[in-house]
Amino acid sequence: MVSLPQISRIAGIAGITALAAAILPVKAEAQAVVNSPAPQFTAVDSHGKTHSLSDYRGKYVVLEWHNQGCPYTKKHYVTGNMQSLQKEWTAKGVVWFTVISSAPRQQGYVTDEEENFYLEEMHAVPTAVLMDAQGNLGHLYGAKTTPEMYVIDPQGKLIYEGAIDNQPTIDMNDIEGADNYVSDALTAAMAGKTVENPYTRPYGCSVKYAD
Amino acid sequence: MRRTFAIFAPLLLYVLAQPALGASNSADAAHLHVELVFPHSQLYPGGSNEAGLYFKLEPGWHVYWVNAGDSGEPPRISWTLPDGLTAGAIGFPAPSRLPLGPLMDFGYENEVLFPFSFQVADGVKQGPATLQAKVNWLVCREVCIPGKAELDENVELLRTAPMPVAVSGPDQALWDRLANRLPQALPAGDEAIFQQTSTGFRLAVATGRRESRAEFFPEDQNILSDPAPQPVTPTTTGLILDLTKDPNLQANPAQLKGVLELAGGRNYLIAATPGTIAPLPPAFSMLGLARIAGLAFLGGLLLNLMPCVFPVLFLKGLALCQCGVEERHKLRTHGFVYAGGILVSFWALVAALLGLRAAGATLGWGFQFQSPVFLSLMALLLFFLGLSLAGQFEIGLTLTSAGGSLAAKQGYAGSFFTGVLAVVVATPCTAPFMGAAIGYALAQPAAITFAVFTALALGLAAPYVALTLQPAWTRLLPKPGVWMDVLKQAVSVPIFATVIWLAWVVAQAYGAALLAVLLSGFLMLAVAGWFLGRWPAKRWATAVAVPILIAVAVVSVAAPKEFASSPAESSAQPEMSGAAAPASWQPWSADAVQHALAAGGPVFVDFTASWCLSCQVNERVALDKPDVMQAFGEKDVALFRADWTREDPAITQALTALGRSGVPVYALYTPGQSTPQLLPQVLTPGIVIDALSRLPQAATPTNAGPSNK
Repeated sequence: MVSLPQISRIAGIAGITALAAAILPVKAEAQAVVNSPAPQFTAVDSHGKTHSLSDYRGKYVVLEWHNQGCPYTKKHYVTGNMQSLQKEWTAKGVVWFTVISSAPRQQGYVTDEEENFYLEEMHAVPTAVLMDAQGNLGHLYGAKTTPEMYVIDPQGKLIYEGAIDNQPTIDMNDIEGADNYVSDALTAAMAGKTVENPYTRPYGCSVKYAD
Repeated sequence: MRRTFAIFAPLLLYVLAQPALGASNSADAAHLHVELVFPHSQLYPGGSNEAGLYFKLEPGWHVYWVNAGDSGEPPRISWTLPDGLTAGAIGFPAPSRLPLGPLMDFGYENEVLFPFSFQVADGVKQGPATLQAKVNWLVCREVCIPGKAELDENVELLRTAPMPVAVSGPDQALWDRLANRLPQALPAGDEAIFQQTSTGFRLAVATGRRESRAEFFPEDQNILSDPAPQPVTPTTTGLILDLTKDPNLQANPAQLKGVLELAGGRNYLIAATPGTIAPLPPAFSMLGLARIAGLAFLGGLLLNLMPCVFPVLFLKGLALCQCGVEERHKLRTHGFVYAGGILVSFWALVAALLGLRAAGATLGWGFQFQSPVFLSLMALLLFFLGLSLAGQFEIGLTLTSAGGSLAAKQGYAGSFFTGVLAVVVATPCTAPFMGAAIGYALAQPAAITFAVFTALALGLAAPYVALTLQPAWTRLLPKPGVWMDVLKQAVSVPIFATVIWLAWVVAQAYGAALLAVLLSGFLMLAVAGWFLGRWPAKRWATAVAVPILIAVAVVSVAAPKEFASSPAESSAQPEMSGAAAPASWQPWSADAVQHALAAGGPVFVDFTASWCLSCQVNERVALDKPDVMQAFGEKDVALFRADWTREDPAITQALTALGRSGVPVYALYTPGQSTPQLLPQVLTPGIVIDALSRLPQAATPTNAGPSNK
């Protein structure tokens, strides 16, 4: 036999539940949005060392998504363009991470030794290569293509996301005279100016995430 | 060794992808066959001079649309042509969505023909000619392989159209099959508009018939999130697509261009312009309905506390006390009858509202308060009731003396009509939970609307019903006595207060003349009441009082037409802004808001009405306070008051666009953001100042909106 105190108690709980359900917000996915704080991450590099974005607060950080089999990536590596960018900016104190998000058995996937060998052969000098075969870092940043570039300022804000330059081709002749967006962003930010093109459409092969 | 091979294998592949050589109009390359298609081999000035670039692809491999999506590049063709001949750009047939894990590309699988045409100048050199094309493409499956080919086509150039009509070449069949897949222009009379939402855009396309399937391919990159699903809502004249925007989108596009693919192979080129799309009824779900019904119930409960309803509840509580000695089941029945009165009047109200809505009137909740006749009658009724409570006379005494059974019936009827009264007075006091529930419910099919309003009605009735259900509480009720009379008279005070409020609304909205008529009506009521009270239970007294009452009612129905005047100034304009209040309220109009937003400053809109008590309270307590006005001034906020006291379709439409159906609504527009922030319906100065503090600082003095500093 249900009495009113019981009814009112049940009604009260039901009411509060309904209220809570109505107010409960939908949790949004983490996304890298320009001029917002860059998503925090922790990843392991090709020498087994762990890096976190928070370790590098106070420095500029560049993330370069990479797939050595992709013609667009090759355009920048075979010509030495990417290596010279890495050299130029790491010399100025920028932390440069090459990120490989290709899943095992997909194009661009390499083991640690293979990647280290590749770096030697290509004379590439990033600060480290983050091995992201699970694709976590790629999904966190919404990386779509290789190459795709992200620039994070010393305060942790994402100031550039998108293509490496304004020539979305595989033609190696197009490197000369191209407007390099990464250099533009770093130059502007280091001079205290706002980045002119903070978001451009990246070009390249799609990142080879696991299916 | 393997590593070296791993480095050079891609390079090898690259070499293999080098152009296929040879003077041919087709080539086989990695994973595809590319060909120039010429349905007619004779080109002449003024002719159609059509041609196409054809790809036949291996299964699983694809080439790309003009906007390739998240990755990829469309094919390109460059020509070496004889003098007098120019080639037009290639056209892109309607693409398909090509999902790639978390990414989405747009392109073509199997085979595709890109049509184009040549322009032949009049002075062209006649005779055979060779057209040379360099074609570049990117063909992908899981990996991408760039390719190129050099193709030639031998044609004949003529100065005039040949006689007889040009002979069809061998490519005619291929041309006929594939050249007609270009998207068409939207038929005349159909239109496409888009509206920003918090997550992206809503694209409404009217094609004249109900559409249930569609895909939209944006022409411009970086506007939409390519992989996001595009839920389709069919409408009677077309459809509405919900598009998710690219999270990095900085500024909203002036036009939304792209290809819309509909069922049945219809593909249209869309250039949607910004506009307002009527809000859709959200998809029906039991959980959603349960949630909204729960909110409505809570809203109903809360309504009992609003100054509109409280006096009525007092009345009922009083009546409860009087019948505290009755049996439990009679009490319960009274409770249910009261609830029944509330339910029935809610249903009647909603039925009327839906009927009027169907008839095309733009009305909202609380609409009845926009009628001066209703306001007058309401005030008169409550005044009469107040007189009775104050003790001038007893209602129903005449009938009660006629028979005991009638007394019992009168009791139930009394409960029923008390319920009706509660509803009638409660509707414009949109309590915090009610705004969303009503907005949702009124947009739904009738059955759902009624379900939600039933929940609301039950919430409103619940406290009293709870009282009648719980026997223990009845024991708590004090025994009948003289105190009941005192309490009854005391309750007349909030009733008279409500009367004053209604009279104020009438004066505000319809002028002092109508107020004078109303007050005269009060006088006549007092006279009638005196007759009823001086000679209680006498037939003749009733016979005198009733005509007076009828006359008063008739006059108050007819009077507004004669005496109502538009307010000389709306209640929204404070007389003067003191030195301490830098911002002042402007009357609302959609254009003025747009203008102010375009000037770069934030905009605050107060949707209010004289008859909306919570609006008035919020304005006095929160909006017109000096520190809040100061905060408005500091942020250079343009202030607008939308006065909905009298029916205003423009305001009703603006409320609907915000998903609301009643007032108060407080909208804070930030420049650069597509949708405004809606503040809660119960305002405090803290809430307003807090919302303002989250605005970006006013940039430059030139940003000042219409408000003066």
